[in-house]
Amino acid sequence: MYDLIILFVLLSLGYVFGQIAEKRHFRSIIKRESEYQSILTFAKRFPLNNDGEQRAELVGGNVVISVDYFKRFVAALRNLVGGRVTAYESLLERARREALLRMKAEARKKGLNTIVNVKLETASITKGNKNQVGAVEVYAYGTGLLSNH
Amino acid sequence: MEYQNSKIPEGINVSSEHPLKNFIYLLLGVSGAIIAVLLVLFYTIGFIAKWVPFEAEVKWAESISASFNESGDDTQNGLLDALGLPTTDKNLDGLDEQYTLRVQKITLYLQDLANKLALAQELPEPITITVHYIDQPLVNAFATLGGHVFIYQGLIDAVESENGLAMVIAHEIAHVKNRHPIVALSRGLGLGVILSLVTGVGGDSLSTSLAGHVNLLTSLAFSRGQETESDIEAYNTLLKYYGHGLGATELFSQLVKAGQETSLPEILNSHPLSQKRIERLEKLGQSTITDCSYASFNCSLTPLPEFLLND
Repeated sequence: MYDLIILFVLLSLGYVFGQIAEKRHFRSIIKRESEYQSILTFAKRFPLNNDGEQRAELVGGNVVISVDYFKRFVAALRNLVGGRVTAYESLLERARREALLRMKAEARKKGLNTIVNVKLETASITKGNKNQVGAVEVYAYGTGLLSNH
Repeated sequence: MEYQNSKIPEGINVSSEHPLKNFIYLLLGVSGAIIAVLLVLFYTIGFIAKWVPFEAEVKWAESISASFNESGDDTQNGLLDALGLPTTDKNLDGLDEQYTLRVQKITLYLQDLANKLALAQELPEPITITVHYIDQPLVNAFATLGGHVFIYQGLIDAVESENGLAMVIAHEIAHVKNRHPIVALSRGLGLGVILSLVTGVGGDSLSTSLAGHVNLLTSLAFSRGQETESDIEAYNTLLKYYGHGLGATELFSQLVKAGQETSLPEILNSHPLSQKRIERLEKLGQSTITDCSYASFNCSLTPLPEFLLND
């Protein structure tokens, strides 16, 4: 019985704070994305107009987001039956967009306006550890350039 | 050439479904499936366990008892230990000789009564009843694995006649006859395995958690249906043995009087409420011949022998 009460408390804590954090994060992401719209990112390896001397520097952005208890529980249930793990989809979406934003922020700080060869790395922290709420890391990096497009 | 990164449209990677809705669907689906599996298992095991030979049940009881009792030859205390009940003092040297004789005498009397009742109940061939008398004030009697029936002094004090005592013993014999202890134990083990698989307790701790289950189940796991079945069987045994059903409700009336009932509603209780049991037995009495003018025997309560009464 006590186990159930503890589970319920953990689930509600995870749900309430997780949802608040997620909503707030998405609002902030959308706002900052429009702020950094002028910094262009490309998956191409080389700049589009490769003429003349350009300043090139490595830029990167790194983010770690923790899974809340509620998401973990829902994902564990989903594991039994299969299908879209929507609880984790939104989590990874946040992590990717946040990492790209931080990379752009670094580029702006260095006075660069274009990033080429953008790549994303995803890693799970606390992988394989049982009974531990996991966290996901996303690292975005690329070659920042000062370009006249 | 002018390039630009356009704004990413929302809602492609993130599902717009409410997370709680998703959660509730998953929870209901998964728990429904688990309950369905458990129910199927529960009834299948109940059906199969009845066919386990009684000899195997006796051996099982002995091995459980031996695992709790180091010397391994004291089945009575081993079983009490396994059930988490206080054991009896078997160190005969330290005890008054007269007391030891008394315990032996009572045990013999109870065993004799049980044998006669088992005969009246037509207990099938390989099944035997072993009665254990426990001199403790607990108002309790129970049947467990291997045909071992435990009768407490407290219960003997609570009934007024031999008929009342016979009703209880016959009830416990009926449990053994209908294989309720082994059904309960098998069900508990089966469900324990499934539950530990689902909750991920598995691996090394599986055997430990199973050992824990052995405790829990034998003590409280007879269902209300099984209790009622045994009540009816015991009542019929009483009719056959004494020729009338007088005294059958003695213990239950005593329990009602003593207020020993939990306030839980019947559905949450493993035993039917005493009041309900009395009513059920009285209804049963109306449909059978309890009118003493029809009885072939002397239609009165048989008193308990003097030496049974605690002084």
